[in-house]
Amino acid sequence: MAELKKTSESARKASFLHWIYGNLTCFSQEHMQTFGYLWAMLPIVDELYESDDEKVEALRTYTTFFNTEPQIGTMVVGLTVGLEEARANGEPMDAETINGIRAGLMGPLAGLGDSIIVGTFIPILLGIALGLSTGGNPLGPIFYIVAWNVLMYFGMKFAYNQGYSLGGSAVEALVGPQSAALRSSIVMVGTMVIGAVAATWINISTSFAVEFGADSSFALQNTLDGIMPKALNFFFVWLCWWLMTKKKISPTIVMLILVIVALVGCITIPGINTSIFNPGLSY
Amino acid sequence: MTISIFQAVLLGIFACLASLPGMGGTTIGNYTLGRPLVGGLVVGIILGNLQLGIIVGAAIQVVYIALVTPGGTVSADVRAVTYIGIPLAMLSISAQGLDPSSDAATGLAAALGAAVGTLGTVLFYGTATLNLVWQGIGWKAVEGGRWDNIKKTIPMVETVLPWVSHILFSFIPTVVICMAGPTMVDLMKEYLPMDGLAMKTLFTVGSLLPAVGVGILCKQVITKPLDWVTFAVGFLLAAVMGCNLIASAIIAVFFALINFEIQSVKTNRPALAAQAASVDDDDEEDI
Repeated sequence: MAELKKTSESARKASFLHWIYGNLTCFSQEHMQTFGYLWAMLPIVDELYESDDEKVEALRTYTTFFNTEPQIGTMVVGLTVGLEEARANGEPMDAETINGIRAGLMGPLAGLGDSIIVGTFIPILLGIALGLSTGGNPLGPIFYIVAWNVLMYFGMKFAYNQGYSLGGSAVEALVGPQSAALRSSIVMVGTMVIGAVAATWINISTSFAVEFGADSSFALQNTLDGIMPKALNFFFVWLCWWLMTKKKISPTIVMLILVIVALVGCITIPGINTSIFNPGLSY
Repeated sequence: MTISIFQAVLLGIFACLASLPGMGGTTIGNYTLGRPLVGGLVVGIILGNLQLGIIVGAAIQVVYIALVTPGGTVSADVRAVTYIGIPLAMLSISAQGLDPSSDAATGLAAALGAAVGTLGTVLFYGTATLNLVWQGIGWKAVEGGRWDNIKKTIPMVETVLPWVSHILFSFIPTVVICMAGPTMVDLMKEYLPMDGLAMKTLFTVGSLLPAVGVGILCKQVITKPLDWVTFAVGFLLAAVMGCNLIASAIIAVFFALINFEIQSVKTNRPALAAQAASVDDDDEEDI
């Protein structure tokens, strides 16, 4: 019996680097990350098989459509390297099984990656960076560049190696019972930080005011501040969320609605000579 | 402030790197160079006004703080927002003599960024469509079945050929619009007085738009009505108690720790109950 085939450290490193750079470079709407995947499997297949025919045959496994959140998806690539090794050693691992696993993972991982990495982790890092960049301080962007890239590089390397060594159980760990507690806590931090961002980085105020006489006047902003400071920030965030979630309106259309709201709000109301919005600017 | 051809070319190259799908890769390209805050630093260095660049970048960043592109559907294009929007906003702010850190300047930046970002989705679809041609070359090689040919073609499809898409849909649009910028800004100033309805609307839109970005974030994390209470606690920490974002984040982590402990106990409870049953002590099961 021949010695078990195993990918070398350098082949796995090449495969990892190919994936983290190339996952979207040749993106099309038809085959989103498929070519990134093919490029990542190229050094692995090249090393594991002897004849050219076997190599071509093995690589053709990965010509099926692939798309996920590419950074957390690094785990899937590592996982298939492990599966490919098993197949090269004659384990009962056919193309259908490998593609079944890939297809089963890419959807849930896309949801997980979009909500945790892109929807929560990046905004937290950017929120801190925005706080540091007040008044044009370059510390903010530099903090983001360093923190994001260092954490992502090691995070993706970890995901790749975990996928490779642990196989299917690595991915189960991320959706297991204890990780549910972890995920709900991460989302909780995200929600509160987003609340703070809504109060800090949005400035919506109304200029609606009516004078009734020399001593009597009404300013809507004062009334709103009496209810809750920055109440209009809260209202508009809720409105956008409601339009997008409950009314299924796309962000682009929501932006257009806000343009109309702004336009109508800036028109001076005849008779009382005031408008809902007025930035009050001049050159 | 003007943009020279050399500066415009640099902006164009960064637009190629920072796009989604871009030549800088996803992590370094789209999620680093493509973020408006980082773009503010880069554009600030290229145009020689670091402070203004970062202030403009930060203002636009707030609108796009959580730009999620599930399944490749884009609502705004980062290359256009960052490498066309930021230079144009910087030109307008300095041409109009606005104080860079004023609400007026950040409002103008946010509105301009959103305007070019929406136009930029055309660039996204252009790039992705032309990439179909390069993928076609790749498929031909894989079907041909000659390993040495496959081994040469796939890296080409991944790293060389998409540059053609980007020269057409990232580089040229960025260079042309940035070069035309100063004249565009002058025309704007002449035809759009600040107290006219158009400019008032533009600035008001700028102040409203960050609500869309934060609204998209809420869409990600708020799944049940009571989640708004969690959101409101964070909101009130900043709005009423005056906490900055870092202080708010630390308080949030404290609450999340408590949540983690409770959730962990919940998931471990079946095991605890089984343990209690095995020692046959009825009193402890009520804990």
